[in-house]
Amino acid sequence: MARGGGNRSRLLLVILLVTSLFFITLDLRGVSVTKGSRSVTQSFLAPIQKGVSDLFSPVGRFFSDVKNFPSEKNKVAALASANARLKTQVLVNKDIQGQLNQLKGVLDLAGRGGYRVVAARVIGHGSSSTFSQTLTIDAGSADGVRVDKTVISEHGLVGVVKSVDAHSAIVLLMSDPAFKVGVRIARSQSIGVLSGTGGNSFALQLLDPAGNIVVGDTLFSNGSDSNTPFIPGVPVGVVTSVDHSSSTLTQTASVKSYSDLNNVGVVSVVISAPATAPKTMINPSPRATVIVYVTPTPTPTPTDSPSATPTPSASKKATK
Amino acid sequence: MSPIRIALNASLLFIAFIIQEGVISRIHLPITGFSLYLAIIVSMVLLENRTGAVILGFVGGIILDLSPSSQSPFGQWALVLTLVAYLIAVNSESIDEIVSRPVGLGLFVAAGTALSLALYLILGSLLGESNGSFGRDAIVIAGNFFWTMLFAPFLMPILIVIRDVTVGARERI
Repeated sequence: MARGGGNRSRLLLVILLVTSLFFITLDLRGVSVTKGSRSVTQSFLAPIQKGVSDLFSPVGRFFSDVKNFPSEKNKVAALASANARLKTQVLVNKDIQGQLNQLKGVLDLAGRGGYRVVAARVIGHGSSSTFSQTLTIDAGSADGVRVDKTVISEHGLVGVVKSVDAHSAIVLLMSDPAFKVGVRIARSQSIGVLSGTGGNSFALQLLDPAGNIVVGDTLFSNGSDSNTPFIPGVPVGVVTSVDHSSSTLTQTASVKSYSDLNNVGVVSVVISAPATAPKTMINPSPRATVIVYVTPTPTPTPTDSPSATPTPSASKKATK
Repeated sequence: MSPIRIALNASLLFIAFIIQEGVISRIHLPITGFSLYLAIIVSMVLLENRTGAVILGFVGGIILDLSPSSQSPFGQWALVLTLVAYLIAVNSESIDEIVSRPVGLGLFVAAGTALSLALYLILGSLLGESNGSFGRDAIVIAGNFFWTMLFAPFLMPILIVIRDVTVGARERI
């Protein structure tokens, strides 16, 4: 293997290191030289990723499918019994359905706010050469996707759009260590910040020192100003364990996301919010209401009115 | 290293980059992903002299910095791979004995990849980036180490053939 060099290579090393540091400084100071080059790469790679996605999608999950095969069998059996149990529960739930419909009016659940969404297919995952957790989707600015828009799956929050090309976009997954989202606990309405940890679990820190977290608490996104980057009311995850140590002022917990970020195939990008945001629907402005009272009809009772009193002639007729 | 060799190596690395971003990233390998790109850079650096290795590391880093999924500042990979390439080139004499066997080669390339990832994380921490939990990062590095160790012995013969062809092309020019 070829070897050689000396002072020249050392000088070259210094020059190249200084050049690298120069690039890093430019990037950190916000000079947009690098962003342009990355978006050019993205527009170049997107068609390739799309083609490869079409070609390799059956192969892509081969290893994970093989690995999960034994557990999948158990899962099917568990699901079958759960299905039978749920069928009976459905009958009971019909009674509760009426109450639920009323509750829906004050809960801003995801998808209820009439947001306009763009469905997109996942065509690429973040490179394993970088530690960032991203997805590439096949919808871009031509479809109305913009930077800092919320991305959701059928189960809940997935991430936020990081960069957009004409026909593709990069989504920063909620599992990325740089990802943070304000969340609200459904049970107590306490708010906190959920951070990605790079893996399948997430770290939740409450903002309210008096607030408390319980295992099983469900979390919803709290929303941002102008719904950017986060819309409110999107299911985020469920608390799996609570840290009871007193090292922090507020409680912390581990959270499992509703979305399976490793196997997400189709996502929706929320591209615009309705004129009245769902979060304003929690406290609706007072308006005139019409209340209709239905008074039951009185039961007819015998009275002593003259018409009802039998007359002598009438008695006569009756006796005849 | 002549400008033509630099251009040829850069083209080869760019093709590897496209394969990495387009194909390898789609395959969900157990443990964690495999960085074909880093494995190719470390293998190619082994075939170069000090000057060539440093240039190759820098060019390879710049290409990797172009990754649209990257969250790090542009130039971070260039800095890391230039340093790793120089370290490998400086210690070439002791390395030659190790990489003469396929197992040693696999281990060395895997170690080079792991070192690159670790330096990238350390530099990222110095620059204030969020890198996630230590355990998760350790799994990513260990997973890359494992897959690189498996694939590296198959990569090197291909790279040697490509290198011979490119050197021949240069000589013909």
